[in-house]
Amino acid sequence: MKKYGKGMASIMFGFGYGEGFPDHSIASIEIMEDERIQIKTAAADVGQGVITTVIQIAAEILRINPENFEVIQGDTHKTKNSGSSSATRQTYFTGSAVKKAAEELLANIYHYGSIEFRSNHPELGVENGRIFLYDDPDDYITYWELARRVKESGNRLEAEASFFPVTYEPDEKTGQADKVYVAYTFLTQVFEIEVDTDTGIIEVLNVYSGLDLGKAINPKNVEGQIEGGTVQGMGMAVMEDQIIKEGKTLNAGMTDYLVPTSVDIPKFEHSFIEDEDSEGPFGAKGVGEPTLIAASPAIANAVYDAIGVRFYELPITPSKIKKALKEKNEENK
Amino acid sequence: MKISLTVNGQLREVEITPYTRLLDLLREDLGLTGTKEGCGKGECGACTVIMDGELVASCLVPAPQADGSEVLTIEGLGSRDNLHPIQESFVETGAVQCGFCIPGMILASKKLLDENPHPAEEEIRLGLSGNICRCTGYAKIIDAVMMAAEKMDGRESDQDG
Repeated sequence: MKKYGKGMASIMFGFGYGEGFPDHSIASIEIMEDERIQIKTAAADVGQGVITTVIQIAAEILRINPENFEVIQGDTHKTKNSGSSSATRQTYFTGSAVKKAAEELLANIYHYGSIEFRSNHPELGVENGRIFLYDDPDDYITYWELARRVKESGNRLEAEASFFPVTYEPDEKTGQADKVYVAYTFLTQVFEIEVDTDTGIIEVLNVYSGLDLGKAINPKNVEGQIEGGTVQGMGMAVMEDQIIKEGKTLNAGMTDYLVPTSVDIPKFEHSFIEDEDSEGPFGAKGVGEPTLIAASPAIANAVYDAIGVRFYELPITPSKIKKALKEKNEENK
Repeated sequence: MKISLTVNGQLREVEITPYTRLLDLLREDLGLTGTKEGCGKGECGACTVIMDGELVASCLVPAPQADGSEVLTIEGLGSRDNLHPIQESFVETGAVQCGFCIPGMILASKKLLDENPHPAEEEIRLGLSGNICRCTGYAKIIDAVMMAAEKMDGRESDQDG
């Protein structure tokens, strides 16, 4: 028999290294003469999309099409420290560093532009890679031309910035500090499941997610993070079981260590709560790791709702469900 | 020993040992590194290619068995400037994150759509169930195959496979 259950869980996640570590990121950005804008960052894009995100941020500040950007990534000769792609920190840290560098660069565009136009910056407009006088918008200078003229004067149209927020080590006794992490991401998920009482298999039907992420800079990437993280969390909740005996993993292979496949996944619905409560770029907060956490407690709650049994150990495998149901039946006899 | 096979429409002659895997032939001898090695045991689908119209785990195919065969790898499906509709759909739906499973996913999708141009969602899930993805949670990959089916509707499926 299949039994339906619904469960919910809410989590909060402090991201970045936090706890007083000198966590920071450095980025630079330069306008080239050949219609390219080069961003330099050591932030590693491992598929989460930080490169797309920083291009969007810089394009927004510099008011130009994202197509014009190229990113020099993780080249020790050309880039400075951006910290690791871990701790759900790159959008916040490198996103902020790139935003600050782009703002410095925009200020330089105004500076050199005001020299070219022999005018004051409030009289100048910047749009689509051009700087112009509001009085005569047709008489514009492109960024590329401006870069060329700046180079002729012995300078470069570039800027570098770092983002270096302060956190504090928590008090040893109380665990408290003014700011342990730079900011917190919140996630609430509702899982709808069906428990097959004959086989003990949990089928996850639907997952509804409400994510407080400050700002979704790239909504599609955010959805990808939620879906990927949730499915990993689901695997942890119902099937992924590393069996270690005397220090050796007995099931170090895909045959006996099961992970979710395309037939296991639920349907998703997402909603974003864009409450800008941090100093992240445009209010954005990190959304990597937090997406994994709620699945286990939510599924455990849904299982309780479905069959009235509380589980305190993961994963909740079919054999554990069948054993628990058998015990419950015997108690009721 | 020497074998000859057609890879992505080109006849290739390759000197191999009897225990070379098709995966190594493709990656090491022909430089076609789009095909990935995941588990090396035929479980994960990362090394999927299409051989004589069938999906195979190239890590499990002894290269001598590929003598005289026709093999399609991800490199033969489309190019950066001329993406196959399935590849386009993967890009447009945001179905790619780290990308390691994607060559196998796309070839599995192609095989599925060749046989069943209008698959239901359940059929797509089944068709891709031999390919493991750790990043995306599969949802956008399933969307991508749905989109590709629409794009390819009415078009010739394609010339290579």
